Parts: sequence; structure tokens; C-alpha cells
Amino acid sequence: MPRKINVLLVDDSRTVLAQLERILGELDDLAIVGMARDGAAAIRLAGETRPDLVMMDIVMPGLDGLSALRTIKSQFPEIEVAMISSVSGDSTKAAESFRLGACQVLGKPFDQEIIESLVEGVRLSLGATTCDARDH
Amino acid sequence: MSVKFFGQFLIDQGEIDASHVREALELMQDSNPTFGELAISMGFMTQRDVSEVSAEQRQRDVGFGDLAVEMGLLEPEELVEVVQRQRSQRMPIGQALVRLGHVRHDRLGLLLDAFKADQAQYEVEEIALPDGLASHRVSRFVLELLPRFLKRVAGLDARVGDIRRFASLPDFADIQVSVPLEGPRRLEVVLVSDLAFAEALAIAASGLSPRDLDPEMVADGVGEFLNVLGGNAAGAVTREGHRIELGPPDYDAQLCDGWTVDLAVGVGRAALVLSTS
Repeated sequence: MPRKINVLLVDDSRTVLAQLERILGELDDLAIVGMARDGAAAIRLAGETRPDLVMMDIVMPGLDGLSALRTIKSQFPEIEVAMISSVSGDSTKAAESFRLGACQVLGKPFDQEIIESLVEGVRLSLGATTCDARDH
Repeated sequence: MSVKFFGQFLIDQGEIDASHVREALELMQDSNPTFGELAISMGFMTQRDVSEVSAEQRQRDVGFGDLAVEMGLLEPEELVEVVQRQRSQRMPIGQALVRLGHVRHDRLGLLLDAFKADQAQYEVEEIALPDGLASHRVSRFVLELLPRFLKRVAGLDARVGDIRRFASLPDFADIQVSVPLEGPRRLEVVLVSDLAFAEALAIAASGLSPRDLDPEMVADGVGEFLNVLGGNAAGAVTREGHRIELGPPDYDAQLCDGWTVDLAVGVGRAALVLSTS
């Protein structure tokens, strides 16, 4: 049985959180373990829920996504982080995201296939096609 | 599905992964001269000027060249020359990936063609803009992409009317949300609509049912649509070498000057205002 992928969603827009919840809700063996609307809450929830994947907006009020990415990757390097950018053609912010350890930069409008392949990539990187040994 | 840069496209296509992009970016950083280095070599700035701008840049998120002009250390026409030199000398990410062995040389051309085909939907025609708006290059992209994104995000067919001077708020203005596009000139993109249009947009953008919508969510849905529209327009114009930053939505936009277009839509009434004040 595939191991469940735990995902934390971070965006200041409730619309985007609803969109992602809808897209991810169609995928098997995936649980949304938390939602945050700014970078500070994202860091706190990442520590509390230890997700496999964080999907996080770059531009947010308060602590922004790039600052939160830096902290999450330094404290929890095992967590994969995909950044979300409205200005995805802006190679500067996308490049900065990759430099800080993001595994992907998702543009908007969202492409369901790209999100599905992102989740599958995380599943594969966890060796998650079989039961996690810790479950036994 | 969005404006993107080549590295991102290659990841989406499964050709490479993020670690390859990271390596390519490092190689590019090592190989490409910085703006400051080029400005010095071209005799436009001194090492001391560059240090001053770098120190200021640590406090503010503004591009080096724009900041140097703002600080009076570089002339606007010199900025253009340095940017042109930087672009002509810059190692592209595709070449860096080939050099690192992550993309085969004989495959790069095919991938670039596929990338161009993917991004062709974001190319815009040279539509006629009135004086006063023509200098806001990003406005061209906003107006061209508007009906395409209304269709893609919300499934709404829309026709954009003629551009005219903004005079006053239309009588159907139940909702007005804006996003700023900050560049050499500021442009505020404002969507003004009645409740029916805003709700249709919010429902389509969020996927929620009408009974789950609240007034905050309706405004948020319109703001998110403007984010996508403004973000892709900014991305497209940034790729041409003009740096544009997208700001967060403002749900209480005040309008006083600019240009407007009516939107012929199937649901409710809406107009887009491009505020230049």
C-alpha cells in the first residue's frame, strides 16, 4: 500500500487554499495536514505537523514565502517545498526559490497534471511505493 | 498553463529536476558578470558607486540598475546600455544545463522549440494604446491576457471594449479590487464589477459552491484573479527585460485617473481600469 503523503498548504488567499484543497482532494493517499496564511504560521505548522511537502506562496503579508522557505529548509531539510508564484515568469524569484532549496515553482493558473507529478515525485523520493518500514 | 522561465518548463516536462536548475544557476552566477561589474567596465560607474548601491540594496528590494538611477549614480540611458550588454553576454540556462551534462546538446533545440510553443499563448499583438498608456508596456499584456484568463480561470467569455479615459466609477461598481504593478512607472490594475460577476469569478476561481461563499471570499476571488492576470502580464514583460513587481491586492481601491475598458461578459457587468496616477 502506498504511503500517505502529508501536505501543508500556505497562501494568504483563501481562494488559492480552496483551489489546492480541491485539486489535492482528488489524489489518492494524500492528506492535507494543515493550512497557513503567512510565513510565520507556516514555519510553526511545519514543525508541528512535519509534512512531506509544503506548497507555499512566495508573496505573502508578514513573513514572506522566501523567508519561510529558508527557515523551513534549514530546520527541516527533509521536507520538500514547492513555491507558488503569480509571477512565475519572473526568473529572479523562481531562481531564488531554487537556490533556497525549493523542489518546484508552480505558476498560476494551476496545472493539475503538474501538481500531480509534483506529488508523485515526492512520493518516489520518499521511497513510498511500498509501506513505510516505520509503520510495521 | 502560465508564463514561466525555461528551467521551470524543463522541470514541468520531467527533463530535469530542481537540483539541476540549482547547479545551472550557480554556473551562470559564476560565469555572468554582475550589473555592477559591467557598469564599471563600461565606464559608467566606479567601484565606490557600486558599493554604495549594493549597501542600499540590502535595505530595499529594488533592482540594482533601477536603484543606481534613483540614487543619481547612473543615467537612464546608461542603464539601458548595461542591460543590453548584460543580456547579450549572459549565458542562458539552457547552455548552462548542456555544459553540466543535464541536457543533451542535440536535444536543446527541440526543447527550446517546445518551450516557445508552450509560451506562444502569452505573446501579444501590438494593440494600439492611447498616449499616456503606451509607455506602460505591461498594460498591453494586461489587456491582451484579460479575456484569455477570464476564459481559462473562470470559463467566462469576454470581449474587451474600446479604451477610453476613466471619468467616474460606473453605477454597477459593487466591488472594486486592484493590484499594483510596480516598475519604472506604476500601474494600478483595477477590476470594477457588480456582485453577480464577482460571485461568478469567485466561484470559478475557488471551486466552492455559491452557498459556501461569503463577502470576504468573493473579494478574495476577484483579487486572486487579478493576481493571476497581473502576475502573468508582469512575467511576460519582465522576460522582455523590463522589471515589474506585482504587489498584493487592495480591496478598497480608490480611483482618480487612468484609462478604462468595458468588458462584455455573459454574467453581470464589469470594467477594467488601468490607473496611472
